[in-house]
Amino acid sequence: MAHRIVGQPIGRLDGLAKVSGEARYAGDMTLPGLVWGKALRSPLPHARIVRIDTSRAKALAGVLAVLTAQDLPNILVGRRMFDMPLLARDRVRFVGEKVAVVAAHDPDIAEEALPLIDVEYEDLPAVFDPVEAIKEGAPILHENPGAYDGALPERPHPNVQSVLRFKLGDVEAGFREADRIFEHTFRTQLDHQGYLEPHAGVVAIDEDGRVQVWASNKMPFRLKELLSHALQLPPAQIRVNLTPIGGDFGGKGSLMDLPLAYHLTRVTGRPVKMLMRYTEELMAGNPRHPSVITLRTGVSKDGRIVARRVKALFNGGAYAAFKPAPSVNLGGASMGAGVYRIPNLLVESFCVYSNNIPCGHARSPGEPQMVFAGESHMDMIARELALDPAELRRRNLLRDGDHLANGHHLEHVRASDTLEAALKASHWSEPRGGPWIGRGVAMTHRHIGVGFTNARVRLETGGNVILSIALPDTGTGAHLVLRQVVAEVLGLPIDGVGIEIATTDAFATDSGVGGSRVTHTGGRAAYHAAEKLKEQIQAEAAKHGVPASSLAAVARAAANEGRTLEASHFYDAKVHGAVTSFTAQVAEVAVDPATGQVTVRHFTTAHDVGTIINPLGHQGQIEGGLVQGLGFALIEEMKAEEGRISTLSLGDFKLPTIQDIPPLTTVILEDPVGPGPFNAKAIGEGSISAVAPAVANAVADACGVRILDLPITAEKVYFALREKVVP
Amino acid sequence: MIRLTVNGTAHELEIPTYRTLLDCLRYDLGLTGSKEGCGVGVCGACTVLLDGKMISSCIALAVFADGRSVTTVEGLAEDERLHQVQQAFIDAGGFQCGICTPGQVVSAKALLDAIPNPSDAEIREWMLGNLCRCTGYYKIVESIQAAAQRSRA
Repeated sequence: MAHRIVGQPIGRLDGLAKVSGEARYAGDMTLPGLVWGKALRSPLPHARIVRIDTSRAKALAGVLAVLTAQDLPNILVGRRMFDMPLLARDRVRFVGEKVAVVAAHDPDIAEEALPLIDVEYEDLPAVFDPVEAIKEGAPILHENPGAYDGALPERPHPNVQSVLRFKLGDVEAGFREADRIFEHTFRTQLDHQGYLEPHAGVVAIDEDGRVQVWASNKMPFRLKELLSHALQLPPAQIRVNLTPIGGDFGGKGSLMDLPLAYHLTRVTGRPVKMLMRYTEELMAGNPRHPSVITLRTGVSKDGRIVARRVKALFNGGAYAAFKPAPSVNLGGASMGAGVYRIPNLLVESFCVYSNNIPCGHARSPGEPQMVFAGESHMDMIARELALDPAELRRRNLLRDGDHLANGHHLEHVRASDTLEAALKASHWSEPRGGPWIGRGVAMTHRHIGVGFTNARVRLETGGNVILSIALPDTGTGAHLVLRQVVAEVLGLPIDGVGIEIATTDAFATDSGVGGSRVTHTGGRAAYHAAEKLKEQIQAEAAKHGVPASSLAAVARAAANEGRTLEASHFYDAKVHGAVTSFTAQVAEVAVDPATGQVTVRHFTTAHDVGTIINPLGHQGQIEGGLVQGLGFALIEEMKAEEGRISTLSLGDFKLPTIQDIPPLTTVILEDPVGPGPFNAKAIGEGSISAVAPAVANAVADACGVRILDLPITAEKVYFALREKVVP
Repeated sequence: MIRLTVNGTAHELEIPTYRTLLDCLRYDLGLTGSKEGCGVGVCGACTVLLDGKMISSCIALAVFADGRSVTTVEGLAEDERLHQVQQAFIDAGGFQCGICTPGQVVSAKALLDAIPNPSDAEIREWMLGNLCRCTGYYKIVESIQAAAQRSRA
């Protein structure tokens, strides 16, 4: 079906505000009488708090308040599992945990006050490595984690936050059938989402006693619920006001400093702004979980996988509070099965407590870790079987009707088409360009997200339509996508559809941004609301004998009778459908034998997608995710020594720059079968996860060195090359 | 007391000596277009022009700008018309979340002032100090190429 507005590469309509500096992010908000909050953080990974003396800080000119846990209700907060205090009470569990908070007239005074707070600590034994953390006799972080609200019952060790399990067939029987069995262990690093807007929030109490919140948070309604719990206030007393968000990538869904900002507001009677500095992001944000993943796979003589067992340890850090899923685990663990039909499978994922920074969600949570392990493992097996890595994959790819590890059955499976497209575009079967050059392939797939969204559309007297929504745009261009959907349905030009960013007062609920859901759920809510409005317009036009195509005439006719045409829709998708999106990527790298430096010479990314609503934004999601994947593969690492992050600035914790991007070929296989509006699918999390294994497999192809732990630095390759026994 | 010109407007300000230029712009003058990302002069979100040259305003003291002229993102548009770089970033998808964009467009304007017709390599060299986490940079390169082309036309 041909579309008019859907499918057009329209530039961002919020662009004017963003390129001119007019867009007001949470950190740009100001209010009369605003004061600044700053938190004092623990310098120790595990210690008892013996004594806190705030008197010197309180005496500093310009300081309005200093609060410790003693001044706050004894509430534990979290997103699913509520195990984190607002401020450390009696005990700190990681370097960076907040122990006190200051309000002052300006941010410099607030910072000056922090070292004037005297805290006496008594060291406790600490544990950092997830393997050590679940051994007998390891230091215990939480005495009774099972008693926390939201805790799941299974807990094989007190330092286990949660266990998530996926099972198909009979794994032991499967291994008995296997001709060969391979087992490898991989590690991935601690990694920050890298959004350039650190967490920011402003909290005020208005004349009516309502709590007004402006925050870099992508789930305003969930934030309202969580704040209601944290602050012990009825939800109706809280309003979350939406602001532009300066990047999310999974990281902007936690409470962070907002409860503390509220308490400072309550005590000082002034609006309070709290901004995390990037250093604080790197010591106490909610970064991507590091992992230790072991895969054991049994294959038949002809290269078919007959059984697989996967054990993943995700180092969750000191608290489980930042994980939003009901499993209190990472859904990406299900990718232990990869894109393959595995009749006998057992995947077990353990999130583990340790005295490190508490981790949270990051773009496709758990998947870059699991797909790195799984797709590296596949290549290692192919090498052992003397098979082309692409051929081993071909023999095992998912097909229509297969079941995933999480129980979903699949339809419209384009795994094979996507792989072949990537191979063709990357000239896979042609010779490499020389020595020390290699190619690697990797695949993944991802569900189309689910959730719920409210949308309202109304016809203005000028004949234009306003879409009202309380779903933030974290930067993806979601609002533009929704406007395109409404414009398409109503036969309007894109300029004929405006957007009104509502607050949490305007609707009952909304699941917010995350999990590759927005084009689907927001898009369908907007679509159905627009369809309802269209019916009203047609009825109104017939009633007054004006053409339905003249929206202004219809609106005026209604207005003459004192009415505004308006429609709303609540769209709620609870279960992932039978359609997913496949990705196949090929990296071509060169390895410098003298230094071990890996250069990505070319990258090919192939995606099986639905109807594309906005090709410009769609391609932007592919490119952005892919470069984040390259950072994860080659560059990014938050290094920690005894729980202390040593890469505490963006000068030390490096993100990819404009010089780190390779020539790119994108292949799009459009297949309009998605659950989104006009059969759209999802793209936001499709391009990140297979990058690291594609690079690792290319490095192995180029020089015979297999790197089992990320990132793939020059040092690792250099030393591996030196140790390599050349036959 | 310092005197500085920001986007063509003269200001006299009494500020503490430790005030950074970025905080001075954002909090003393209310120009919140320039952003603090890293806070250590690495990410480029706070880039402004000081007498036409790019600096990281988060690691420059405001007193350093005494008697000088500052251009921020708010000063790029002329008579309500966007600078060609700003328009190109919209049309070619050169931003997503927009938090790094003020710094990107200020740097890109400085680039085109210095090199009106930059090569791909020159763009990558010049823009090295402006991090972007959303776009993967491809569309930033395309935006700058488009802006250069437009100014030639």
